Amino acid sequence: MANRPPRQGLNGNDVDFDTTWQILERAFLEIHTKNASQLSFEELYRNAYKIVLKKKGDALYNKVAEFEHRWLGDTIRVRIVKLLSAPFLFNDDIGRTLATSAERRAGGEGVLKALKQAWEDHQVCMSMLTDVLMYMDRVYCTDHRQPSIFAKSMGLFRDQILRTPVRQGEDNLITILTRIILDQIAMDRDGEAIDRYLIKSNVYMLEGLYESEQEVEDEKLYLREFEESFLQKSAQFYREEGERLLKESDAGTYCHHAKRRIDEESDRCRSTLSESTAPKIQRVVEDELIRNKMKGLIEMDSGVLYMVDNDKFNELHLVFDLEARVDPRKPELTKALQQIIADMGAKINEAAVATSQAPPQAAPAPEDGEGDKSKGKQDKQINQQTQAALKWVADILDLKDRFDKIWEISFGRDQTIQTALTRSMSENINSFGRSSEYISLFIDDHMKKGIRDKTDQEVDAILEKAIVLLRYLQDKDYFETYYKKHLCKRLLLKKSQSTDVEKQMIARMKMELGNSFTLKLEAMFKDISLSEDLTRGYREHVAGLGDADRKRVDLTVSVLTSMTWPLEAFRSANEDDGETRAQIIFPPALDLVRQGFERYYSEKHSGRKLTWQTSMGEVDIKALFKNKSGQMRIHEVSCSTYAALILLLFNDRQPDDQLSLEEIEAQTNIPMQSLKRTLQALAVAPKTRFLSKEPMSRDVNPGDKFSLNDDYLPKTVKIKVGVVSAGNKVEGDRERKETEKRNNDSRGFVIEAAVVRLMKTRKELAHAQLLNETISVLSSRFKPDVNMIKKRIESLIEREYLERMEDAPVPSYKYVA
Amino acid sequence: MAEAGIKGKHQIEKALYEEKKEISSGRLKDENPLDTSLEFRKFCEACRRGDLKVCQEQISTGININARDEYDYTPLILASLCGHYEVAQMLLEQGALCERDTFQGERCLYNALNDRIRNLLLQYDYSKSTDPLQPLAAHITSLLSRETPKTTDIVVQTGETTLDLHKFILAARSPYFAQKLSAAPETTLWKLSHAVPSQSFETCIKYLYMAEVGAGLGEGEEEQAILTGIDKLSRQLEIPQVFEDILASGDRRQARQRRTDEIARARDQLAGWFQDNVLKYKMRMESDKADDVKWDRDNGIFADVLLRADEDEEEEEETEQTEGNGAKVRQTNGPLDGIPVGHFQNQASRSPSRRRKPKNSVLFPCHRAMLLRSEVFDTMFASPFREGQESKHLQIVPVDCSPDVLEIILTFLYTEKADFPLSIALEVLTAADMLFIEKLKQRAALLISTLGNGTASIVDAENPRGETSIEEFIDIYDVLRAGWDTRVHRLEEFAARYIAYRLERYIDEADFKDLVKESAARIQSRQETDTVELIDDIRYYLSERFRLRFEDSGLDEMMDETVAAELEGVTDEKVEDEGVDVTSGLTPPQDTTYNTEEGQGVVRTLDGEIAGDEFAQDAMNYQILLGKIETLMEGLGLDG
Repeated sequence: MANRPPRQGLNGNDVDFDTTWQILERAFLEIHTKNASQLSFEELYRNAYKIVLKKKGDALYNKVAEFEHRWLGDTIRVRIVKLLSAPFLFNDDIGRTLATSAERRAGGEGVLKALKQAWEDHQVCMSMLTDVLMYMDRVYCTDHRQPSIFAKSMGLFRDQILRTPVRQGEDNLITILTRIILDQIAMDRDGEAIDRYLIKSNVYMLEGLYESEQEVEDEKLYLREFEESFLQKSAQFYREEGERLLKESDAGTYCHHAKRRIDEESDRCRSTLSESTAPKIQRVVEDELIRNKMKGLIEMDSGVLYMVDNDKFNELHLVFDLEARVDPRKPELTKALQQIIADMGAKINEAAVATSQAPPQAAPAPEDGEGDKSKGKQDKQINQQTQAALKWVADILDLKDRFDKIWEISFGRDQTIQTALTRSMSENINSFGRSSEYISLFIDDHMKKGIRDKTDQEVDAILEKAIVLLRYLQDKDYFETYYKKHLCKRLLLKKSQSTDVEKQMIARMKMELGNSFTLKLEAMFKDISLSEDLTRGYREHVAGLGDADRKRVDLTVSVLTSMTWPLEAFRSANEDDGETRAQIIFPPALDLVRQGFERYYSEKHSGRKLTWQTSMGEVDIKALFKNKSGQMRIHEVSCSTYAALILLLFNDRQPDDQLSLEEIEAQTNIPMQSLKRTLQALAVAPKTRFLSKEPMSRDVNPGDKFSLNDDYLPKTVKIKVGVVSAGNKVEGDRERKETEKRNNDSRGFVIEAAVVRLMKTRKELAHAQLLNETISVLSSRFKPDVNMIKKRIESLIEREYLERMEDAPVPSYKYVA
Repeated sequence: MAEAGIKGKHQIEKALYEEKKEISSGRLKDENPLDTSLEFRKFCEACRRGDLKVCQEQISTGININARDEYDYTPLILASLCGHYEVAQMLLEQGALCERDTFQGERCLYNALNDRIRNLLLQYDYSKSTDPLQPLAAHITSLLSRETPKTTDIVVQTGETTLDLHKFILAARSPYFAQKLSAAPETTLWKLSHAVPSQSFETCIKYLYMAEVGAGLGEGEEEQAILTGIDKLSRQLEIPQVFEDILASGDRRQARQRRTDEIARARDQLAGWFQDNVLKYKMRMESDKADDVKWDRDNGIFADVLLRADEDEEEEEETEQTEGNGAKVRQTNGPLDGIPVGHFQNQASRSPSRRRKPKNSVLFPCHRAMLLRSEVFDTMFASPFREGQESKHLQIVPVDCSPDVLEIILTFLYTEKADFPLSIALEVLTAADMLFIEKLKQRAALLISTLGNGTASIVDAENPRGETSIEEFIDIYDVLRAGWDTRVHRLEEFAARYIAYRLERYIDEADFKDLVKESAARIQSRQETDTVELIDDIRYYLSERFRLRFEDSGLDEMMDETVAAELEGVTDEKVEDEGVDVTSGLTPPQDTTYNTEEGQGVVRTLDGEIAGDEFAQDAMNYQILLGKIETLMEGLGLDG
């Protein structure tokens, strides 16, 4: 039975440390002098193994370290230091001035090459040593918590080569290396060719070395020693460059340049330095070229305003791009854009105000006739205001389109910018007091004329524009008021081009602003169609009566719900003294018809009261005129009910009969204001001078006498007697005040209703909260004035809907059931 | 942890039924065949008792570790049922299966005595562990994609595909290549005549390199073409199994079994080839001439390196060491080299340059590709040193161990087999450590620690039923030092246990004192704690030794022996194992007298007067031993 303990050799007691170490040392020297090919791995491994097994691992470890220490310190460092020429030994600025860039580059490359060579050699040699000393690494180093010999030797390289001053009292090599690399990079930035690969190799070295032997990832020498100076240096460089460029070039060029620099730096990190620096240098460049310069850039003469004015989409895009890099919110650009929009908007608003307030530039046209002069003047002015409104709307839309386009092309449909643009547009529109009216007018204008000969798509686009503007509008209740008024006129006077389009518009508004907004508008349409039915029914009814009286007056009625229709729109400015609803005296023929219809209506709907709005009526009359040759010709006269009544007065009279103003008033009971205006139309206006007036003057005064004008010869078959203030025009100041007052009143009601609804559900609410909630409830309709809400609350308390809570910590209200 | 994962009884029954069906239909191989042989019964018995030594002995006879007895018990079930953690661990390490979703596996888990064992079993579940041959297979497969160091020596080409391959693997695995290459061993380019799809070719080569080949070979016609190609190639290369493997499908277990069989077959091929070539051509010659051996690269067995091991001379000096002898030598050598005597002359003459007496060396022609399994060789051949360079003739690389050990190492590297006698286990251990062959190291450690049954009593150890004493194989001091040197914790534990159970014998030896000092020094250098690991371990096992004694239930037997114990003064503990071993009475009282000679007065009075029964006696012995440790520590000036 063989009994064999382990061989002694394995336990290493035949190993004499010094002899063995001599063998190893000799071999290591061969390795370092690149003479290793004849060495036997096995022999070296075995020797190292035995030393470790003999528990001399620490001695071996120290010997190897010492060996490397000597080799690096005595051989390699000396070799590199020899290459250092004067410029590199001095601090940056002094050194730079001592040599031309070509000299510096050549010298620097020499040092870089030597370092690279030293580093690569060291790597190779150490990996060979590590191979041979594998057993020591695994056993001794692990057990004794020593860094591996490789890590240790890297530390030695760091200390001996890089960290040791090259000469007494001078910089160490890593400082010089940093200086050289920075110098080379500066040359690169100036466009000189440098050997990037060489620098990269040195960067690899710095990345492979650590502050300590534990090789903590963020303690790389690259990070600790180099990167910081690189970033500082770059910051300084770009700060100066940025300032210079701002002074010397235009914004577009600046943007191009900044972009190129950013790309360059990330390229540089890839090709010359370390990828890990890319985000950091990126930040530095962004800080220096963009973040700190953005304001200046935008405010340059050739800045954003210039770009917008000249449709420089590319440049705008660059600005956008640059700022987006540094801040996703793009505050500077946004601010600048908002300012531009605000300025442009203000200009449009001012222009509109100026146009509307400007005195009519030209003298009144001659054909106005002297009697009509002041009237025409006013018309003219109103007309001018309508034009101003249309222009305002068009301008605003233009502005919007323009920025939308920029937004699309240059800003990549950026959300933040969109929000900002919207806000600015909205401010523009809302800061202009007449915007509601102007928008309504814009629609009105298109409804009456604009949509003729237009395709569906075009109509659609127009409607969409209106809606777009509407979206910006805060005080939607004002708009509703104006729209109702304008719609009313369009409907009653049949000015609307297409009911379909009207309905389409309503539908859009409904979608945009909600049901309640369009409720009344829809009711108006309903009234109109009901009235048509009614008229038809009445005609059939009359026909059914049998006696087809050919002389019987034909009747068309619009029965309007009084609350829905803003009939005051028809009262012209000079009638607003509170029209006394005096009973108009109808001639028997008309009265018969009126009574007949009233009878018919009350049969159909009992309990409803009909009020005749004679001031809004219209009558078609067939009249016989004798022309110059004595022939009688039938002309159709279309005029207001009042005019018809007046004309009918003269129907049965002799041509020379005269009626004074007072007589006419007494016989017809037409309100004096309207009467005067109607008579003006009949006796003064040259084209419809049915009557002649004594004395001949422009104004109708008490005591004036009227008779049939035999000389009047109408030129056309159909004659239209002018109806005063039938069109939709911009309101005069007084009207506007009126509208505002009415609107404020109705707002008051709406606010009260909202407050009461809120309190009813919540029972108790703090004052501030109540205010907030009221505002948010109403915000879809208008932006309520806080004072007004307070007043309404006071009033509600007075009327005992609410009461103040006395014991509450904050002012609060309680709902009184 | 395990509670939720354990299946209910009915589920296990169902699994058993299905498994039986599969087996009877022949689809599945029975993993647990019935074994009623005497040896197997003995093995089971040992598992029941927790006798590591017998278990290991039986396993090394090649018994089927996964067989079952007539009650359907497998050794692993028995060990885990009886709560023998170490035995269960050893069984698992050597390939006992405990697979979830099989009847026996679930049963094993179900029956585990405690959670510790259950967790151990779960840890070794098949899905996590691997086939013991898998590392070998993985290494060979990895050769296909390995670029440094270059080990390939032939380019095989079919159509446009070329692959760099190894002749020896081709020859070992494919009869076709074996024949062709033996005819022309110098070939470096081989064109296969048939133009087959490259995927077919790659699949076959992968198969040869012991990779798993399976489905996923394209679609439709493409698949058809590839399969045809594989069919053709497999016939040409005379490896029909590859085609069968690909066609066969089936469930996980079947696939796995097929894979296991396939790897085993490949291993056997490789082993056979290794036997017939590498070992057959090993050369024994005088060491002086060994360096002059010139082998061409184009040799018939495709070797690309020669490994050299020098024989020990003076065999006659390696006589068995008696303990006293050993101790004396150790004392002279000092604590650091506590090695048995007789080899000083060798040490001086070990290195070839300073060799004085002629001796013999053995050269093994080897393949770098296989040596790469050792990290040292891997580094060596990849390094820019001489060994990593091309040379005209095969390089001769010395390996610092005996030829026997080198052969064991080579066998392991080529075949994953590690069967070697205890007598050279320590040497294998150190060599494996030197070459960083972790698995072989563990195997050697396992062999040492199980055969030298640590918990067997000193009585067993000294009177081992006529077998050779363990001390004849092992010097426990060597074992412990080897454990330290090679960082195998298992050996440290083993040695501590071994010493604890025989402390009487060691406590007063000077060598033991040195050992304690060494242990203390180890810890100081690590600066971890100020305890002495060895002493801590010994104390632990000492308490285990005596606690076992107190807790044992064989009260009657002990009572019977009380008289004898009283007469003898000190009776050493014995194992209650069915009375096989009734030798306690014969124990010579020398331990105690030894103690008293050291001047432990207290012990003497206790011994002489109070030892009323065995319990009291054990308690006293325990105290005496603890006291001795205490004294020893004080003497050495150590804490703890």
